[in-house]
Amino acid sequence: MTLAAGLAVMAVVIGALGKNPLQAAGAVVDGSLGNSFGIGQTVQIWTILILAGLASAIPFSARLWNIGGQGQMYLGAMAAAGFGITLPASWPGAVLVPLILGASTAAGAGWGWLPAWIRNRYGASEIVTSLMLNFVAVLGAAYIIRDAWPQGFAQQTESVSDNARLPVLIDSLRADISIVLAVAAALGLWILMTRTRLGFAVRALGANRAAALLSGVSEGAVASAAFALGGAAAGLAGGVFVLGVHGALLNGFSAGLAFLGIAVALAARLNPLSVIPVAALFAILRVGSNNLQAGAGLSPATGDVLIAIFVIMLMVVGVIRFSYGELVDG
Amino acid sequence: MEQPNPKPALALRGIWKRFGAVTANASIDLEVHSGEVHIVLGENGAGKSTLMNIAFGHMQPDAGEIEIEGRPTRLTSPADAIARGIGMVHQHFALVPAFTVAENVLLGSRSARAGMLDRKGIVDEVSEVSARFGVPVDPSAVVRDLPVDERQRVEILKALHRDARILILDEPTALLGVRQIAVLLEIIDRLRDDGRAIVLVTHKLGEVMEIADRVSVIRRGRKQVELARGEFDQQVLAKAMTGQLIVDDISRSAGRDEPEVVLECRDLTVPEPSSGPPVRGLNLRVRAGEVLGIAGVEGNGQRALIDGLTGSARCEGAIRLNGEDIANALPRRLRRCGVSIIPEDRQGRGLVPDMTLAENLALVDLLAPPDDAPRFVSWRRVRAEAKELLEAFDVRPPDPDLPASALSGGNQQKVVLARELSRRPRLVVADNPSWGLDVGAIGYVHRRLVAARNDGAAIVLVSHDLDELMKLSDRIIVVYRGEISLESSRADVSLDDIGLAMAGARR
Ligand SMILES: Nc1ncnc2c1ncn2[C@@H]1O[C@H](COP(=O)(O)OP(=O)(O)OP(=O)(O)O)[C@@H](O)[C@H]1O
Ligand SMILES: [Mg+2]
Repeated sequence: MTLAAGLAVMAVVIGALGKNPLQAAGAVVDGSLGNSFGIGQTVQIWTILILAGLASAIPFSARLWNIGGQGQMYLGAMAAAGFGITLPASWPGAVLVPLILGASTAAGAGWGWLPAWIRNRYGASEIVTSLMLNFVAVLGAAYIIRDAWPQGFAQQTESVSDNARLPVLIDSLRADISIVLAVAAALGLWILMTRTRLGFAVRALGANRAAALLSGVSEGAVASAAFALGGAAAGLAGGVFVLGVHGALLNGFSAGLAFLGIAVALAARLNPLSVIPVAALFAILRVGSNNLQAGAGLSPATGDVLIAIFVIMLMVVGVIRFSYGELVDG
Repeated sequence: MEQPNPKPALALRGIWKRFGAVTANASIDLEVHSGEVHIVLGENGAGKSTLMNIAFGHMQPDAGEIEIEGRPTRLTSPADAIARGIGMVHQHFALVPAFTVAENVLLGSRSARAGMLDRKGIVDEVSEVSARFGVPVDPSAVVRDLPVDERQRVEILKALHRDARILILDEPTALLGVRQIAVLLEIIDRLRDDGRAIVLVTHKLGEVMEIADRVSVIRRGRKQVELARGEFDQQVLAKAMTGQLIVDDISRSAGRDEPEVVLECRDLTVPEPSSGPPVRGLNLRVRAGEVLGIAGVEGNGQRALIDGLTGSARCEGAIRLNGEDIANALPRRLRRCGVSIIPEDRQGRGLVPDMTLAENLALVDLLAPPDDAPRFVSWRRVRAEAKELLEAFDVRPPDPDLPASALSGGNQQKVVLARELSRRPRLVVADNPSWGLDVGAIGYVHRRLVAARNDGAAIVLVSHDLDELMKLSDRIIVVYRGEISLESSRADVSLDDIGLAMAGARR
């Protein structure tokens, strides 16, 4: 429903710009899925958006606001760069890749856990702390890029060793195994949310905190777990950037995708399974809108504007759904 | 015979409303004239709130018509209804928790001058309304912090203040004490004399006898009978509601000689309860197989005591459960020690309305599990157990997959009771457990509470309803301004003694 509404608004906007919405849609699809280069790029963004969406969806389910996906992604990327560069290059990939991705996931989880811990311990809002921790993480990455393992004067670190790169699945698309990992993460978190006590506690806390507390939920433990799980997903995304997409830690590598993950989570109604198709749709929009100028005669900035409008639409609908219960009855 | 206004102020004709497989209203007719009180009776889930919500434009009927002063009308929203002079007191309150009482009362009313909020002005105005109708509220309190009985008063004020010609009240007295009820009934009486039309939903037959001009009884979505004053008595009404006569037998097993003390509070002080005054230096004991009834005018420390016992507010002094100190323990630990909690605010603290009945029934088991509980949940088992509980407690409809929010108020209450009383508790802290239940369900719940007592549970029972306290309690204490003003075994105390103690007289 929300997706349909969002797409309808986009069509109206394009119409208002005097262009044919259908033609624009064609251009978007053509740019993102029309050739193997586009498809490869779309799959890459899809992977990252799945993980970024999960990073928001899990804490949001407990009504905890993780705005720190970017920082958690950075931590994951820093861990990947650090280990990918320093671990012996002679080790086989079967050892290096799981080890490094595990470190990325753990680093993201730890960075995600931090705001939950601060909240439990000192009562500080997780929104503010998780946001602030983004800046700390970005600064840390800048240090690594400039001082720890600089690659000449380029805005990136040295490359990780070849054996640490993610194995490629489909050559023509340059698609690596990360998409499999992302889908598996979504499935795993879906099972966790629907089939385990922990997932139930997360949902109960989000749906009615007072009742959950009185029924015996351990708020601190559940909040920490939700944040750590979200952070883990973001950290894995950071690892994928370094070992897969770029082969090194780049300045500004996340390109706003962490924040787009918030929109993905909301549009997916916080359901980890729905995150998969929603992330695909966003990836198509994102990659395909590069083709708007050539395909539909729209200015290149239009693509970003359209995504922004779409996201705002979703946020408006999503956020109203969130606060409705608080407004109507206490 | 003189008939000043033959057209009914409000007429509902042939109203149908279905929710999935449930027919909540089946061709219901209801008329109320100016200067008349029309009471709607019916079991939990009979369809009363649905009908009232339709009359207030909250829900749209599937079929049927609404006439106001003889004119056919479509009500598409509550704003529509308000504009046509209808006011409503909701069973579950429609208040904005973050707003003050005054803001809530004036919300959406005509007198809120265009865009300008004059804080002092609205507080004064609401104080004045509150004084005029004799419904005490604190206009500057924030609704979020209020106990449910006070929220109910805010709802009532909101409707009164709007000066509605047609007033719909859905169980307005469910949470009020005797005195408050008397005040409200007096207000209703005056409004009737003033020519308003009033529709009132209640489960309390005493109120019906006192104030009804007409009574309609709804059963399973259909109107059974409509009776005018003089045609009904309590027996007739009870029979029409349930199709049978209510038996009210409670078998109380004799207590053992020296049962162990389950709950002991020593010098208990709860300085900052969620509402009402603090309690200070309270001492009390409840033995296994004993019901301790707590009486008192609302806002005399009941909340503080319950907050302390349920780990919901910080306390000083000692609380021991079977000898173990549980003062300031979080609900999690209490649950694991076998404490059952029946909170007054079922939608706010008892249930997760958006979750299914199965999930709600398993809430405590899943959230405060024993250490060796498996990490995965077997939903198949949870659903099967839920199904059994729903049937045992006569929750309608007994469908474990429905969200709790789809149940009628009384049935929601039964779900909370089913969860809390089926856990073989050592201690039950029950705060107005029969809020909103119909007569039959109250009988059932009373039997379950006494059964838990007979099984050796200690029960702390707070209730607005003195009859309930007298019926269930082994001992009674009365709280007044945060202190115990009377403590006695039930056999040795009269309603008069309790009444005096509630007013502050000490023995
Ligand atoms: N939103 C809904 N979705 C599904 N079913 C509903 C919904 N609202 C009400 N029902 C069903 O309609 C029936 C009538 O409910 P209603 O709330 O009108 O009962 P009631 O007479 O007010 O009962 P109570 O005395 O317990 O308040 C019930 O079976 C209830 O489960
Ligand atoms: Mg009702």
